[in-house]
Amino acid sequence: MRDLFPNRWWTVLWLSCLLLLAALPFIANDYVVGIGLSVLMWLALTQSWCLLSKMAGYVSLGHVVFYGLGAYLVVITWQQIPLPVAIVGAGALAALLAALVGLPVLRVRGPYFVILTFGLAELVKYTITWAESASGMASRILFGAPDLQVIYFSMFALAVIAVVMLTWVGSSRFGHGLRSLRENEEAAETLGVPVVRYKLIAFVLGAAIPGMVGGVMALRSTYFVVGQVFDPMISVTVIAMAILGGGDNARGPLLGVLFLSLLSELLWANAPLLYMVILGLVLIVFVLVLPQGIMGLLERKKTPSAQMLKDAAPPSPTRGGAP
Amino acid sequence: MTVLETLLSGQLLFAALVTGSLYALIALGLNLVYGTMRLLNVAHGEVVMLGAYAAYWAFSAFGLSPLLVAPVVAAAGGLLGYALYRGIFKGLLADSSAAQVQRMESNSLLLFFGLSIVVQNATALVFTPNNRAYNYLGTVYHWGSVSMTGNRLAALCVAGTCCLLVAVFLGRSVFGLATRAVIERREAAFIVGVNVDRVQWLSFVLGFASAALAGVLVSMLGQFSPFSGFPYTIAGFIVIILGGLGNAMAGLLAALLLGVIETYGVALTSANMRSMLLYGAFVAALLLFPNGVFARRAAAR
Repeated sequence: MRDLFPNRWWTVLWLSCLLLLAALPFIANDYVVGIGLSVLMWLALTQSWCLLSKMAGYVSLGHVVFYGLGAYLVVITWQQIPLPVAIVGAGALAALLAALVGLPVLRVRGPYFVILTFGLAELVKYTITWAESASGMASRILFGAPDLQVIYFSMFALAVIAVVMLTWVGSSRFGHGLRSLRENEEAAETLGVPVVRYKLIAFVLGAAIPGMVGGVMALRSTYFVVGQVFDPMISVTVIAMAILGGGDNARGPLLGVLFLSLLSELLWANAPLLYMVILGLVLIVFVLVLPQGIMGLLERKKTPSAQMLKDAAPPSPTRGGAP
Repeated sequence: MTVLETLLSGQLLFAALVTGSLYALIALGLNLVYGTMRLLNVAHGEVVMLGAYAAYWAFSAFGLSPLLVAPVVAAAGGLLGYALYRGIFKGLLADSSAAQVQRMESNSLLLFFGLSIVVQNATALVFTPNNRAYNYLGTVYHWGSVSMTGNRLAALCVAGTCCLLVAVFLGRSVFGLATRAVIERREAAFIVGVNVDRVQWLSFVLGFASAALAGVLVSMLGQFSPFSGFPYTIAGFIVIILGGLGNAMAGLLAALLLGVIETYGVALTSANMRSMLLYGAFVAALLLFPNGVFARRAAAR
């Protein structure tokens, strides 16, 4: 709990977000509810991404693969199995994929892991594109999808679950294990942290939520194109939001999601290309100047002593090279 | 023609050679930048794409022959590489303390990724997101049963020659020796007096110039758009995972192998499978060598 509400300001921010988002469908028109829905969607995606990629430091550039698979499952089982079963199935399918590829994929580290996850997501995208075109389906349309309120509150539940899950993991033994392997995997293993099991569990847990989110969002668009639900820019946006927010708890992503959702609302409809340029610039600026994100900025301001301690620390050996 | 005849004809082999030589040229630049600085330049394909646009623009607006503007485009690419190195990466590489090296690798990748998104979308803003193509050296030449268009032949010759030149340069010159020393052991090279800074900026310049040159060749062969750069980055990565760092000849062979896999794979299945084959090979290569080429080098020691 302390992770979510460290002081009065955060309590106010979380509660006002919760109340506003919960009341939105009753007080606003469909357009505004749509905005709220996308905020909830990004919140659920980013929080679930943080589980592995922020906590354990395995930066995944393929989060969209779970989202896309979930959407695909809901679309191909449309009106053949009950919808709630399909949504839960979407989460289970995504988790299953994570569990199946997890062991070999999580052996790969650092930047290789980043591009491997990207490559895997693209491989799945092109495989499903090929399967769809082989079966003669260029696109699919869902008739009789549930109305916006049902979709909205399903997404609301998913976002809450994602926030609670990340917060709970963050304060648990499991979460501390993940953090220790982020700092030094060999040392963590030596100290008895079950590194492989922890990584795999985080990967699988983090996959189930985007699977269900994808399933719910398929109902929203009602028009299914493979390239759209597997769009790698979804992964990029998730990373940009998490890095912009910073920190490894649920607070940073909230700030990142709110900021970038606002930006995308202002720009996406009129100037999608410009929005992408700005998204790329945000990524560059934050990696270069503020790798700790907005959270790092807030914390640095508040605890100058910690920063001074860091500055006063003896210089670690440099990388050799570069004179 | 039966499937077997198609496979045995020289036509496919020629196509594989053209693709492979382009991949070799693209991978060469990635190899230098990654090898000397451990920077995974995922924006490499975007440099290829920019080179293609430069050639297209010179051809359609001024009627200049792509082969003539190629050296200019390559020089512009090299200049871009130099500016990026001085502007961003020199400071990053010098600053990083031992604890941050690991994080730096992931961070530099995100940095390049941001650059690649910016370049793609800015290009689409300026030149529209549409596909572009132009007709140049379209004459067909016959050699035995193989028919070759002039542009493919030219691309093969230019890419092949450049790769061989760089291979000889890296193998024989003092700079090549210094580069390979930095790739093998950066700290040790610094201690024995290699000018690491110069090797690094020259790697950036050579890497970006070769990518821009490859872009000119790519533009002669078919359609391209602001978003067609990324598959070239992926192809380049496959080649350096398979061929190893700092070994230009092994890289050339790996690129030809990838060209063969892609061309014959598509011929056996369908054109829709091209991306699947490419990413499939990429994922397989990374899973087989989980730490890239390091693992093999460490084992050999």
